Amino acid sequence: MKIKKALLGVGLGIAGLLLTACGGNSNPLSDASSPQPSQSGSATGAQGAPVVVGSADFTESKILAEIYSQALKAKGVESSTKLGIGSREIYTKALQDGSISAVPEYTGNLLLNFDANATATTAEEVEKSLPAVLPPGIKVLKASPAVDQDVYVVTKDFSAKSGITSLEDLKKIASTSTLGGPPELEKRAYGPPGLEKIYGAKFKSFVPYAKYPPKISDLDSNKIQVATFFTTDAVISEKGYVQLEDPQSMILPQNVIPLVRSDVADNADAVAALDAVQSTLTTEDLVQLDKKVDSERQDPAQVAGEWLKSKGLA
Amino acid sequence: MNIFSYLTDPANWQGPAGIWNLLLQHLAYTAASVAIAAAIAIPLGIFIGHTGRGSFLVIGVSNAARAVPTLGLLVLVVLLLGTGVGPIIGVLAVLALPPILTATATGIQGADHEAVHAARALGMSARQIVSKVEWPLALPLVISGLRSASLQVVATATVAAYSSGEGLGRLLITGNATRNYAEMFAGAFMVAALAVVLDILLGGLGWLASRHANPGRRGRRGRQTSPRGETVSQPA
Amino acid sequence: MNLDWAWIQRNLSMIGNLLVEHIILSVLPVLVALVISLPLGFLVFKTKRVANVILAFLGVIYSIPSLALFVMMPLILGTKILNPVNIVAALSIYSIALLVRSVVDGLRSVPASVKESASAVGYGWLRRLVRVELPLAMPVIYSGLRVVTVSNIALVSVAVLIGSGALGKLFDLGFGSFFYTPIIVGLVLMLALALAADALILLMQRGTLPWFRKRQTA
Repeated sequence: MKIKKALLGVGLGIAGLLLTACGGNSNPLSDASSPQPSQSGSATGAQGAPVVVGSADFTESKILAEIYSQALKAKGVESSTKLGIGSREIYTKALQDGSISAVPEYTGNLLLNFDANATATTAEEVEKSLPAVLPPGIKVLKASPAVDQDVYVVTKDFSAKSGITSLEDLKKIASTSTLGGPPELEKRAYGPPGLEKIYGAKFKSFVPYAKYPPKISDLDSNKIQVATFFTTDAVISEKGYVQLEDPQSMILPQNVIPLVRSDVADNADAVAALDAVQSTLTTEDLVQLDKKVDSERQDPAQVAGEWLKSKGLA
Repeated sequence: MNIFSYLTDPANWQGPAGIWNLLLQHLAYTAASVAIAAAIAIPLGIFIGHTGRGSFLVIGVSNAARAVPTLGLLVLVVLLLGTGVGPIIGVLAVLALPPILTATATGIQGADHEAVHAARALGMSARQIVSKVEWPLALPLVISGLRSASLQVVATATVAAYSSGEGLGRLLITGNATRNYAEMFAGAFMVAALAVVLDILLGGLGWLASRHANPGRRGRRGRQTSPRGETVSQPA
Repeated sequence: MNLDWAWIQRNLSMIGNLLVEHIILSVLPVLVALVISLPLGFLVFKTKRVANVILAFLGVIYSIPSLALFVMMPLILGTKILNPVNIVAALSIYSIALLVRSVVDGLRSVPASVKESASAVGYGWLRRLVRVELPLAMPVIYSGLRVVTVSNIALVSVAVLIGSGALGKLFDLGFGSFFYTPIIVGLVLMLALALAADALILLMQRGTLPWFRKRQTA
């Protein structure tokens, strides 16, 4: 009996080892996985080949990815999604190695990502500068009028007490204040380095927040004095946060724009589908869609589908 | 990129977010939580071990504690109570309680029965029996409980950075977000080093205590296994 | 804190996938560890004095927090940092560290008189090991098995900080949107899983060691 059990154990163990070996190879994007069951081995995007749309791990990115993917499907282009991959540093790699073939992006930060010294400041300038700085094999499609900016905020009370309403004012309080934002903000051009260089504001410290709730909680309790959000976040209007002005355009215009691999850009149907989405999308749409998912807990895929239907795009 | 590059750059050790400061924060959280847990668990354990009442509680608690996903508990508490230092230390202390309680109760209860009988026969009061006989004999096990608890807390405090940005876990989270593997490795390495050093220090302390408790007796050295083969849970 | 049952219903397939992933990530290391720990534990047991040194070394490994080990695995295995194999490998190492200790303790708990009787009756060392020592050591080993399995189930969720974590992703989801439901679902499922695994192993123990039922279980 014991021998049988030992043999069973060995057998299961070997089976297990084999499974591990297989499991290690099955996911090409092995450094990211999302709860979404949809996956595809590799995405080529050649005429008619499936387009895998990836997304960052914030709500709006997921909704946009779903919109893109479903719009493509409606136009007959096979597509699937890979949501919640991570920050720009991560999904850019995924795009370059072919694990995904498209991702919703934002013009200004995208430009800064590839050219930290870019001098463009208006939306048109930014969009025009993009093609030149992108790595080979990666293209952008049409930008949308819909905009979602990073924004620095303070609480209503803090603004009233300290008179801070613009990034220019920050240098008055920065040395005794703490800034809170996503971990990747710390080194970004429009993060603490930019605040110091352009507005002369050097914060006492920076606290990284991987998630919103602790950031919101700490801002409200004055553990941090300034925090970054996105202009379409529902929490800003819910809490009445004061958005600090950016007179020197440290934060570039952030129009929604699809970042794709060249083969997708060469696919006329795909481009037509995405261009249609881009022209139709408005900032107000983003606000509403974000609210449906963040506040009402609806499903990004469903919300995306409903929007497309309402605009006659699916 | 050299995976050690973050650790070897002196600039990364200075400042409020420097490795050194994060290490100190991590230690502070650990010390505070274990101290609080010990303050509750040791007296309680002595009571349970000496009187034999409530021993079912000890076994049940220690078994259940192993199954608790620390991240889930942490996240829940932070959402409910906010991100203050208080709630986090609270969770850490709660997680540190079971090992200390189990070890203390088991140690006191398992104290050499002959010695305890002799003490009773001499007419010692309960307090004297506990303090002069049971406690010294139980000390090695209590220290091993503190050791388990400390490791558990060091591990969970790493995870706590997820909600507070403090402690060595911050290096892991920021490194993960920016794909800076060297930074992630720095965090992992420091946490592992801290755990190993604490383990060795407390292990040595436990060894000393067992020498004191059993002078001249060879064999078991205040380790985590009791005669029944119960073992202690892995910290997070 | 009300549960959003509608959300649960909508996401049943995602939750189901995560549950399966969680089971695989926690059970696989235990199987691997079992296969390695039985012979390894026996070898360690045989070294007698040196055994304590080896066990101390394993104890040190066991003290390393799981997240740290997950992240340091790539250095040892050469895998990408976020490869799930890292998690299985790291948890296997923990499980081995604990199970070897259990095997050694179990073998040590076999009374010398019993071993001598077996030898006296004519059992060779291998037969004595398999027919006498191992069965008598099994209660301790089973106890270790239960600890390891239950621990692994909780530890897998920690990996969410590096993008994996199976059911732990529910914690991530809930925490990110101030949404309690996924967190509660994750906690309940993990605890249920731990309970089920513990009970299953206990059943296996009762089934394979009927003579032990009379005695107290650890």
